Amino acid sequence: MNDILTPILMGIMLGGLYALISLGLSLLFGVMRFINLAHGDFVILGSYLGYGILTYFGFDPVIGLVISVPLMFGLGFLIQKYLMSRAFEVSSDTPLIIAFGLSLIIQNANQIAWTPLSRGINTGYSNASFFIGSLQFPVVYLLDLLVGILVMLLLREFLTRTYLGRAITAASQDKKAAELMGINSKRVYGYAFAIAMALTAIGGVFLGMTFPFTPTSGISFLTIAFGTVIIGGLGSMWGTFIGGIILGVMQTLGGYFFGPASQMLVVYLIVLIILAVRPQGLFGR
Amino acid sequence: MISRLKNDFLIPTTFIFIILALFPLIGAPRNWILYAFLFFIYLAMANMWNLLAGYSGLISLCQPAFLGLAGYAMTIGTWIGIPWWIGMTGGAIIAAFFAFLLSRAVFRLSGIYFAIGTLVVPEALRMIFYLWKPVGGAMHGAGAGYMLKGIEGVSQNTIFWLAAIVGIGSVYLIRIIIRSKLGLGLSSIRDNQRTAASIGINVFRVKLYTFLISAFVTGLAGAIYYLNQGYIEPSATFNVRWTMIMLLATVIGGIRTEEGPIIGTIIIVILYFALARYAGYSFLIQGIILILIMLISPEGIMGIIKKFLLFAKR
Repeated sequence: MNDILTPILMGIMLGGLYALISLGLSLLFGVMRFINLAHGDFVILGSYLGYGILTYFGFDPVIGLVISVPLMFGLGFLIQKYLMSRAFEVSSDTPLIIAFGLSLIIQNANQIAWTPLSRGINTGYSNASFFIGSLQFPVVYLLDLLVGILVMLLLREFLTRTYLGRAITAASQDKKAAELMGINSKRVYGYAFAIAMALTAIGGVFLGMTFPFTPTSGISFLTIAFGTVIIGGLGSMWGTFIGGIILGVMQTLGGYFFGPASQMLVVYLIVLIILAVRPQGLFGR
Repeated sequence: MISRLKNDFLIPTTFIFIILALFPLIGAPRNWILYAFLFFIYLAMANMWNLLAGYSGLISLCQPAFLGLAGYAMTIGTWIGIPWWIGMTGGAIIAAFFAFLLSRAVFRLSGIYFAIGTLVVPEALRMIFYLWKPVGGAMHGAGAGYMLKGIEGVSQNTIFWLAAIVGIGSVYLIRIIIRSKLGLGLSSIRDNQRTAASIGINVFRVKLYTFLISAFVTGLAGAIYYLNQGYIEPSATFNVRWTMIMLLATVIGGIRTEEGPIIGTIIIVILYFALARYAGYSFLIQGIILILIMLISPEGIMGIIKKFLLFAKR
C-alpha cells in the first residue's frame, strides 16, 4: 500500500511543477488563441538564467528571480510588440512559424552560451528531504507544489481583481467588444505575453532545481505543458493546475508500473490520446 | 510574365541537377559530392513538407517519424536477411502506412492542434526506440542503435544517384501533383475548405493522399540518408532538427511556390557547410533569417524575386 502511495504523492507534487511551467502557455492560449511553440525553450532559458545567476553571482536562484523575472517580462513585451503583433497580421500560420524560429534561436543561443552539457541548479536544500509518515520525499518537490499553487492563485487574483487583469480577460473573451469598451488590445496582448514570459522564468528555475536540463530539453517540456493545458481545458487556471497534477501522477504511476525509463512515453501517449479523443480537453467546453 | 517564369524554371534547374548528378563521374572533390548528396535528400524532404504545409495547409511536424521509421525498417531488415533495396522501398511503404494510421487521429485536429499533435509523434517514437530493441547485437549509441549489415557491396555512387533520383524526382512529382486533379482539389481546399466540400471535393481524402505521398517520399529519402550514414540511432533520427531543416528550406525559399524549396535548400546546405565549424551558429543564423523572411516577405525569397521581376518589366 505504501509502495504505491509514494509515486502518487510524488506525482501530485510534480504536478505542481507542471502547472507552474504551463501557466504561461495557458494564459497565452486563453488570450490570443496562440500556442507558443517556443514555450519549452523559454522555460529552459529561465532555467539557465537561474543557473547563471547562481553560478556567477552566488545568489539563491529563488532570490535570483528578482533579476530574471523582469528580464523575461521585458523580453516578452518586446517579442509581442515587434514580432508577434506583426505576425498575426500576415496570416494564421505566420505566428506558428515565427515561434518555431524563436525556438531555434533560443535553443542554439543556449547551446553556445552554456554548452550542450546537462546542467542542474544545485542549492543548499537540493538534497534535503522530508517525511510523510515513513515515506521520504525531496524538499524541492514540496516547493514545486507550494509555489505552483501560490503562483496559480496569484495569477487568478490578478486576472479577476486588477484593471489590467480584467482587460486581459475581456480581450480574451471578445476582442472587438473589449476594444469598443476602450481597451487597447495591442497593449493588453503585450502585457499578456510579458506576463507569460515572466511565469516561464519562475517555472524554469523550479524546473532546473527538480530535473537536469540541456539546451534541447525545451521540446519535452513544451509537450508536458501542452498536455497539462489540454487536459485542464484551455485558458482556465484551475484547470491547468488540475491538468498538471493528473499528468504528474500518470507519469510517476507509469514509472512505477512500467519502469522509470518509460515515464515520458506514458506522458506522450496520454497527450496523443487526449488530442485524438477530446482535443477540447477533459474539462473543456 | 509570372506564368512564363513558372514554366521556365525547370529547364535551368534540370541543367543544374544534371551537373550535380554527374559529380562522381567528373571526379568532383569528395566533400562536394557530400554537399550534393545532402542537397538532394533535403530537397526531397523540403518539397514534401511544402506539399503539406504550403499546398494542403497541414503544418506537419512529424516528418522525422516517417524518415526514421523507413530508416529503421531498412536497417532492421538487413539484420534479418532482407536486401537493403527491398528494405528501403518497404520502409517507405511502412512510413506511408504509419501516416495512414496517424491520419485517423490527427486529421480531426486543425491548425495549431494539428501542429502540436504531430510534434509529439516523433518524440514518442524516440522513446519507443530507446526502450525497444528489435534485434539484439551491436549497439551504436543509446537505445536501439544499429549498424546496417551487409551493405559493403553498395558503392557510394549508387547511393548518391539514388539520392539524386529522389531529389530530382520530388521536384517533378510536385509539378505533376499540382497540375493534376489532386492539385486542383488542394487549391480549392486552400482557398475555402467549406466551398470545396460543398462542390463535391472529399476534403479528407485529398488531404490523406498528400499526407501518404509525403510520408512515402520522405521515408524513401530518409532510408537513403541512413544507407549513406551506415548506422541509425533514435536520438538523432526522431529529432526535431529534421523538421527544422525542411521548414527552414521551404519558408526561406518560399512556401507554396514550386521553386522555393530548391532555392531554400541551396541556402541551407551552403550555410550548413560554411558554418560547420561553429556548431549552433548555423541554426541560430537560420532562425534569424526565418523570422526576418516571415516578417518582410512571407512568400520567401521567391516572393522577393517575383516582385522584383514584375517591377523590372514595368
